[in-house]
Amino acid sequence: MSKVDDFNKMPDGFDLGQAIAEADRCLLCHDAPCSKGCPADTKPGEFIRKFRLKNITGAIRTIKENNILGGACGVLCPTERLCEKECSAKLRSAGHPEDRDDPVRIGKIQRFLIEHSWEMGFKVLEKGEPQKGRIAIIGSGPAGLSCAAELAKAGYQAVIHESRPEAGGMIRYGVVPFRFDLDFLDQELNDLRDLGVEFKFNSRIEGKESAENLLKEGYDAVFLGTGLWNGTDLKKDEEDIDGVFDSIDYLSGLRDGRLEEFQRRIENSVVAVIGGGATAMDCVESAQKLGAKDVYLVYRRSFLQMPAEKPERIHAMEAGVHFLFLNQPTNYVTDGYNRLKGLKLLQTVLGDADESGRRRPVEVEGSDWILDASIVIKAIGNIPEDQSPEWYPNVKTDEKKLVITDPKTGETSVKGIFAGGDIVRGPALVVTAVQDGKNAAKAIVNYLRQ
Amino acid sequence: MKDKKVDLSIEFCGVKFKNPFLLASSPVSNSAEMVEKAYEAGWSGVAFKTLNSDRIPIIHPSPRMNSYHYGHKKLVGLQNVEQISDRPLKDNLLDFLYLKKKYPDHVMISSIMGFSNDEWEYLAKISEDNGADMLELNFSCPHMCVEGTGHHVGKAFDLIEKFTSTVKKAVGIPVIAKMTPNITDMTEPALYAKNGGADAISAINTVSGISEVGLDDMVPKPNIFGIGAISGTSGPAVKPIGLHFIADMAKCQDLALPLCGIGGIETWIDALEYMLLGASTIQVCTGIIHYGYRIVEDMIEGLTDFMIDKGISKVDNLVGLALKNLDTTDKFDLERQGVTEYDLDRCVGCGQCYIICKDAAGQALDWDEKLRQPKLIEDKCLSCMICSFVCPVPGLISFREMPGNWQRNETKVMDESLEAELKYSPYQP
Repeated sequence: MSKVDDFNKMPDGFDLGQAIAEADRCLLCHDAPCSKGCPADTKPGEFIRKFRLKNITGAIRTIKENNILGGACGVLCPTERLCEKECSAKLRSAGHPEDRDDPVRIGKIQRFLIEHSWEMGFKVLEKGEPQKGRIAIIGSGPAGLSCAAELAKAGYQAVIHESRPEAGGMIRYGVVPFRFDLDFLDQELNDLRDLGVEFKFNSRIEGKESAENLLKEGYDAVFLGTGLWNGTDLKKDEEDIDGVFDSIDYLSGLRDGRLEEFQRRIENSVVAVIGGGATAMDCVESAQKLGAKDVYLVYRRSFLQMPAEKPERIHAMEAGVHFLFLNQPTNYVTDGYNRLKGLKLLQTVLGDADESGRRRPVEVEGSDWILDASIVIKAIGNIPEDQSPEWYPNVKTDEKKLVITDPKTGETSVKGIFAGGDIVRGPALVVTAVQDGKNAAKAIVNYLRQ
Repeated sequence: MKDKKVDLSIEFCGVKFKNPFLLASSPVSNSAEMVEKAYEAGWSGVAFKTLNSDRIPIIHPSPRMNSYHYGHKKLVGLQNVEQISDRPLKDNLLDFLYLKKKYPDHVMISSIMGFSNDEWEYLAKISEDNGADMLELNFSCPHMCVEGTGHHVGKAFDLIEKFTSTVKKAVGIPVIAKMTPNITDMTEPALYAKNGGADAISAINTVSGISEVGLDDMVPKPNIFGIGAISGTSGPAVKPIGLHFIADMAKCQDLALPLCGIGGIETWIDALEYMLLGASTIQVCTGIIHYGYRIVEDMIEGLTDFMIDKGISKVDNLVGLALKNLDTTDKFDLERQGVTEYDLDRCVGCGQCYIICKDAAGQALDWDEKLRQPKLIEDKCLSCMICSFVCPVPGLISFREMPGNWQRNETKVMDESLEAELKYSPYQP
């Protein structure tokens, strides 16, 4: 495998034997706490039981009917804090229940079952009896895909408007290839195409009231699943500097044809990534793989406060990334040609807990120093695009420009317009976006039947 | 301080074995090359792969075997259609000579199968002449491709007697008759063998079975180019059947012959169970097919430590120890009753006990949703113990005897008002 292949392929999942052995560990709990732990109601308790009783088609059906992105979730979900967190099997060691953290690897079984369905050509989902109703879905991320699939299953015509050339949103353009590869995504997208979901690519909603106008242009309802595509800056009115990237730009670049360009830039350079979440982990690890001389993860708090999942944190450390804790980036250092030379940092200590429950970083006066780096990637959270409220001026949004909805139905303040996913929640999980899409689809069906 | 010296050697029909563990006549004892490796691993003797007289060619079907899986557990059972030895008799006998020369203290049992009186006699004699210490008469292979052999003989009891007696007249070495389990009562054919002069009985050969049916081609497995056949099933799945027949024969006072236990033995515990029920030696095939000859190391070490722990110095003293506690079901003391007992401090909350008690037992468990724990309604517990079989925590659920005056609550009827419609009068004998 070449270096680029290695970068573009995710590791293999379970094979049949491994999946059976893992499912044999399941205690088939009466109250299936794992199922309660899944935000998209993928019902792991049910699909593992079916698999265990050799009802493999039924197991696949359970996943796919409840979660159109069952495969993607199997790969991308932070299962250790969702379904697997609740797993009773991890409590098995008698006498020392809490000493052992070895839940049934539900995510891996789920991924296996979906891959197995592709291998055996088993299709679960079917178009519903045709109904009158055409719905515009804005954005082909997890929320939009899930909403579209649910509507198609109910017999409605779902048309996805996607500004980019291909579908997937964050799971295409916001994830590193070695964690989630495109072959896998494309396979899963086929399930939507089979349902008759229509995709309009390079179809950007732009200009005043553009989203709301869709209701006048022949659509009976609109679902906003636009997501968050702007990076957060380090400081106000930040100017462009050669060598400073948003994580969103960097990660998209690895997928949209700029991989070699990034590779050339990163190779033998010093890269500093700002942030402590899952995206920051993707950035550091990919930079490491692309041949950076040194990769620094700059985080203003410490290891325990990082939002990234523990296995990912440890993985990044083991990959050779230098974790620079207790350092607050304050500014960039450039040369005379506006090229990045370094990152100005201020040391911090941890104070009391803040509203997030994590200890707050307190800057140490006079402790500033400069980390030499020719590339900085900011992975400190994504926000809505600046002009996004203009697309739907009558839809109520909050001060962060997030769309305000009824959390159960996804209804916005405008009749016929629904929303879900990150544009409503802020940065959240694929699996919650899937659920948002499902909820909204149900509400849309109810709305159309009125 | 416990005596750490135990003697695993045992005498069987006057022949000394350095331990009770032998290779069964099967694919694992097909050649001297294989047997030599087994001896080096610690096996004390071999029932060599059943000889044929070269009268008719032996051809093994292909493929020969199929595994019976349970979940991710493989080889819970094994089904095979392998025939007796397909090697020329001369080659097998040369291997006898090699093994006896190199391993004179290891016991060579020649397994033979004839098709006529003459042939039985010929094979018996030629085995003895080439160093066999004992004979094992294969009356029991359930899947010979040649009609009128194997377990067909083992089911025709007079033939057992006739062939045994022929063999006994031909040789001076001890003769073991190997029985098929594909009958109801094994003591009967065993007694025929005894009448013919058999010195010992070995059991069981494989159980007639079907392990799997191909779902795409509808062919039972192993699929021999479109045909499956009822054939020999072995492995852990058949151990209860083997133990039953060994215990039956050990209890049979008329029989009173030494027994060699076979069927589903993989560990020292399996072997010990056979011995406690009356077998003085044991043979293994499928356990080796699963794990290789090395398992004997664990059988020797495990049995030795058990004997040290129990203060039993000679393996002979174990034989039949459980028989006095084996009786028929009419001898049970039904006055004494008990219930399950739950050590809930260790409960992980899976609720499997709750599900099956509701669906398959006495509805004696409630479920505390908040604590995620079962709650026992003691006077409804049937003491079937199925909850303890599904509980993932070892020893969490145990059995406790209740006082003599304790009464179990009978299962309630759903609607007593239906009594008006009931057509019923008590049975009058």
